[in-house]
Amino acid sequence: MATVTDYIESEEKPRRSVIRPVRMPQGFGVAAIPLAFLLFFFILPVIILFVTSFFTARSFVIEPVWNVQNYARILWAAGFWQATWVGLKNGFFTASFSVVLSFPIAYYIVYRARSNIILYLALLSWFSSYLVRVYAWRTILGTNGVINSLLMSMGIIDEPLEIILFSPFASVITLIHIMLPFALLILVSAMRDVKQEYLEAARDLGASVFSVIYKVILPMTHKGIVGSFMFSFILAAGDYVTPQLLGGREGVTSGLLIANQFRSAGNWPLGSAMAFVMMGTFIIVYVAFLLFLRLLRLAPGRRYDR
Amino acid sequence: MLRTYLAAYLFFLFAPIVIIVLFSFHSTPGLVFPMEGLSLRWYSELFDNRNFIVSLWNSIKVGFFTSVTTTFLGTLAGLALIRTRGSFRRAFELLNFMPIGLPGLFLGIALATLFAQIRLPRSLLTVTIAHVLFTLPFFVEAMRSRVTYFDQSLEEAARDLGANQFQTFRLVTIPILLPTIVGAAILTFALSFDEFIITVFVSGNDTTLPLFIWSMLRRTVDPSINAASVLALSLSILVLGAGGLSMWLQRKRAVAARLSEEG
Repeated sequence: MATVTDYIESEEKPRRSVIRPVRMPQGFGVAAIPLAFLLFFFILPVIILFVTSFFTARSFVIEPVWNVQNYARILWAAGFWQATWVGLKNGFFTASFSVVLSFPIAYYIVYRARSNIILYLALLSWFSSYLVRVYAWRTILGTNGVINSLLMSMGIIDEPLEIILFSPFASVITLIHIMLPFALLILVSAMRDVKQEYLEAARDLGASVFSVIYKVILPMTHKGIVGSFMFSFILAAGDYVTPQLLGGREGVTSGLLIANQFRSAGNWPLGSAMAFVMMGTFIIVYVAFLLFLRLLRLAPGRRYDR
Repeated sequence: MLRTYLAAYLFFLFAPIVIIVLFSFHSTPGLVFPMEGLSLRWYSELFDNRNFIVSLWNSIKVGFFTSVTTTFLGTLAGLALIRTRGSFRRAFELLNFMPIGLPGLFLGIALATLFAQIRLPRSLLTVTIAHVLFTLPFFVEAMRSRVTYFDQSLEEAARDLGANQFQTFRLVTIPILLPTIVGAAILTFALSFDEFIITVFVSGNDTTLPLFIWSMLRRTVDPSINAASVLALSLSILVLGAGGLSMWLQRKRAVAARLSEEG
């Protein structure tokens, strides 16, 4: 039997449904579907991974027995910390070089160039497949590769240099090549917020080109610089493909150890625990980097352009 | 000085890619300069390989379905960003962004454990889900910059003039956002087409093109990798070029319409 409350509720219902998004006043209705997707396929998997890290694997089957053995095992495994150190170094060098090398280019694109051609070119190289670029560097650095054969034909060396391939150096140069366009894009979008007029004002007040960069651009783009650095850092430090194909024995990273647990060895709980330890080290680096910028007085407490 | 540096920067970015393209036309298996002649033999070897054709087709399928799904979810997320305020908006933005703030490895193993728990067998479906998760943040980021300048009074004006919710949405909201949506959808396809790091952990027996290239990379130094790389590369460029062109045309049309109104 239809009552007044039923009537009102049936009026309410379509307003709550997600099928007609525009009716939602606060936007929750439209947000619901992407939110549900992210909760189910992002938050939930991370929680399951975290729970798994406290379980045990026995002959490839995960046993739900709560314990901290995985973490204890990692804590005392010198090999894991050695690999973590290699990964962090990869991340640090890649991120530093990517940001520092891209900064002048971002400056050029934003304040000097008349068109966006260079930006599009950088985008293009970003989309040239990741694996292809790793392979390209193997071709270049390999024993019979481009650099060795060039050096030999010029008579500088007699036999191929073995050290350039399968070393942390090969990993880092490849990772820089991969991260460079990404770092550039983030820097460019941050620098676009710093209007040309600000720079002109600083110049009119007698600042040199370099003090404009140091006192105006750097502090105002510091969020973008941190973003650019951390992005390159996390993606490079957590990478497992480049270290596997180019890093050699010395270039094994914690990312590669984790990937192996999930691909071949089959101890998923141990791999999960390693992954959370790796994330922990990333967070420490992030905090350290922020403190470092503050020490250099490059990180103002507030943004000037808002 | 800046220009010289710029040239060096671009050289560093493109020299490795150019080398791959050159060697894909090399008539001998050697990867050494000077080259000994040109031929298309690596390409014809590749096209005789059934696995290559299958994985290429798989990649196109996954890219297509990823693109459709991400566009649906991402557009809803973009609309939500227009309408939400305050802490809910900030939390929503953060959640949408986080998947690319984590290493791909982490997403890959997290999804692998989820699929194992819910007993969803690994297939192109799980690959597509993973790709949607990976591309959604890029889509929402692209929408976000457009949505920030979205003038909500346009929607209100349409409502005042008697349009209902759906009409407002179809005739006002969507046309304004469409160029961004199209561009982001194409970006999504290109990202999915190249994705390898996450895919490894969630793929079953069906390989995608990056997985095929990976299996070649691990086996031996097979010069048809060059040809496969160049084909993967040119398809990405083609898709992006088509996207860029469509956005450019849309913009030109919009400017022309504006001019004819004023004149």
